[in-house]
Amino acid sequence: MQTYHQLDALGDPTRRLVFEQLRAGPLAVGQLAERLPVSRPAVSQHLRVLKLAGLVGDVHAGTRRLYHVDPAGLESARAYFDRFWDDALDRFASEAGKEPG
Amino acid sequence: MSTVSLDAIRKTRLVDLTPAEAFERFTAGIGSWWPAATHSYGGDAVTAVVLEPRVGGRLYEVTPEGERDWGRVLAWEPPGRLVLDWQIGEAAGTEVEVRFAPDGTGTRVDLEHSGFGETDPRERYESGWDVVLTPFVERAG
Repeated sequence: MQTYHQLDALGDPTRRLVFEQLRAGPLAVGQLAERLPVSRPAVSQHLRVLKLAGLVGDVHAGTRRLYHVDPAGLESARAYFDRFWDDALDRFASEAGKEPG
Repeated sequence: MSTVSLDAIRKTRLVDLTPAEAFERFTAGIGSWWPAATHSYGGDAVTAVVLEPRVGGRLYEVTPEGERDWGRVLAWEPPGRLVLDWQIGEAAGTEVEVRFAPDGTGTRVDLEHSGFGETDPRERYESGWDVVLTPFVERAG
């Protein structure tokens, strides 16, 4: 089981905000910058990191580029946490019978 | 664009405790059972895992370098229910609900982790296409 580091493209709070905005639907850089207390260049930088991590994809839309959450990234996150909770709850259940310590 | 089915993760465990005891152990006692060596940012450096017992309370790990948040309490309803806003990794912005219900002489613990992909991506593109087509229509007119 890996620790959280390895899926830590979202460790940065601003980057997490960018990602959470995109959960609701695709947006252009300018739209993201309007919604967040961050400059356009900063938004672009965060999008680059998210894209490298496979969390975000983009499509050309005329002169603009729209960013969206990458479904493959969401699937891998879901698969990760599926195992994660099995491990964590097995541990909870096995410790539950013991005296608190 | 294929449809992505991202159902909530659902897990169930039975424990030999009352619901109140199970809730207490799960929350106040989280540091005693959470597998922090593997389920944390800090790994072996984690010295404590803390869940603050109130709505708005933080769930976080402690290492010699400081604290790091994992989530926040959205609902605090002992002994039956706990809801967390989950802030880790790609799952940032998802929700974890844990329910504790009597089952025979013990307690049934149901965990649901939801919000990984709450809509069909095609629906996202529908709103996305508005963004694309509006300037196109404006320019064409």
